[in-house]
Amino acid sequence: MKFKDYYEILGIARTASIDEIKKSYKKLAHQYHPDVTKDPKGEDKFKEIGEAYATLKDKEKRAAYDDLGKHGAGEEFRPPPNWGGGHNQYGQYGQQNGQHSGQNSSQTNPFDDIDLADLFASFSTGKRSGRNQAAAGQDYELAASISLEDAYAGTTLDLSFSVPEQDAQGLVKQVPHTFKARIPKGLTNGTKMLLRGKGGKGFNGGENGNLYLNISFLPHKLFKVIDHDLLIDLPITPWEAALGATVAVPTLTGLVNLKIPAGSKSGQKMRIAKRGMALRAMSKKPDEHGDLLAVIQIVVSSNLSEKELELLTALQEISSFNPRTHFE
Amino acid sequence: MKTEDIELAWPDLVLLNEHHTLSLDEFIKLSGLSQATLQLLVENGALMPSHLPDTIANDSSINTWHFSSHSLISIRTLSRLKRDFELENNSLSLILLYLERIRTLEAQLQHLDNHHDH
Repeated sequence: MKFKDYYEILGIARTASIDEIKKSYKKLAHQYHPDVTKDPKGEDKFKEIGEAYATLKDKEKRAAYDDLGKHGAGEEFRPPPNWGGGHNQYGQYGQQNGQHSGQNSSQTNPFDDIDLADLFASFSTGKRSGRNQAAAGQDYELAASISLEDAYAGTTLDLSFSVPEQDAQGLVKQVPHTFKARIPKGLTNGTKMLLRGKGGKGFNGGENGNLYLNISFLPHKLFKVIDHDLLIDLPITPWEAALGATVAVPTLTGLVNLKIPAGSKSGQKMRIAKRGMALRAMSKKPDEHGDLLAVIQIVVSSNLSEKELELLTALQEISSFNPRTHFE
Repeated sequence: MKTEDIELAWPDLVLLNEHHTLSLDEFIKLSGLSQATLQLLVENGALMPSHLPDTIANDSSINTWHFSSHSLISIRTLSRLKRDFELENNSLSLILLYLERIRTLEAQLQHLDNHHDH
């Protein structure tokens, strides 16, 4: 088991009073709480802070933590023999640990692959005999990024995270939880999904926790999403804009031919109906879709041939068109 | 390792952004807040049941309350803040109103950003 220095994490002395512990925790929570900070490392940092606080604010847990002795942060260690003195569920393992150490030092130790946080999270005293009490599993929140194509057509997400589970001896250990989840087509960017019962397992018959999935879209090289509509920049030549043309425009389901009317302007939006995202993922009418908006951009080559330059110069000479009359 | 393959569909899958209806019991379980706290939020006008009963304080009508899954997003944030900052109940309504206001403003900002580019 790796040692974590809870006092160091909270930036306090080992002799700190409960008020000092609370004060330091609250200061750090304001700094790192994931609902408050924009710092991407905030979540991990706050997890550490919360774990330290949960142990040190509880008189009995703090005493048991102090009994573990002082080790370097991250250092591998084992609780001393008879740790906890039999007053908690780990007392017996402390005793076993002592016996094991005496009999065969190479024997597997129940503490070897356990996390200090899990040890204290399920730490129960005689008064709170939580060991056999039903407890709901933990809720988890995960973020998943999917491509626009997958959102459009539906996809399967490989989800993997660690959940605490009780082993046969009653010790809580982190166990990998992996499953494939098929998600419906037509999700929108920023969708928050609740997957009931897919979080941590409940203890002693308690209900399983839930999983919350936050879906975001990966940037797409062609399309931009606005609610249920898709936007695509449609570059056309000045002569296509002036004379009109039929151009092939990509959609998420293949190319469509779009007729550009003569005299089209830059910035003008051409609506291609029902080629956007599904209106509602859970809709009973899954074929209802938003639109694809093609935004016209008139572009000029920076590498014109001599003949092209000649023709454009001739056009300039004969044209009386002034697009800036409203300036006058 | 065995990988479970799950087909997700209502009621195991809830898209919170869409307007699914959750019963009071479900809402209590999912939010992590007590009935008394939720009742206080409703009384203060910070949380609106989907179909507001005539008399909010009438205990017998509370069990008929339903909430939109949409409101669970802010309520869960509120619940985390309450737990992690050990907040008093009387500050929760105000915080919820501000959370909702921030969400609305962020959505408007996102909308404006999207349209500003074009």
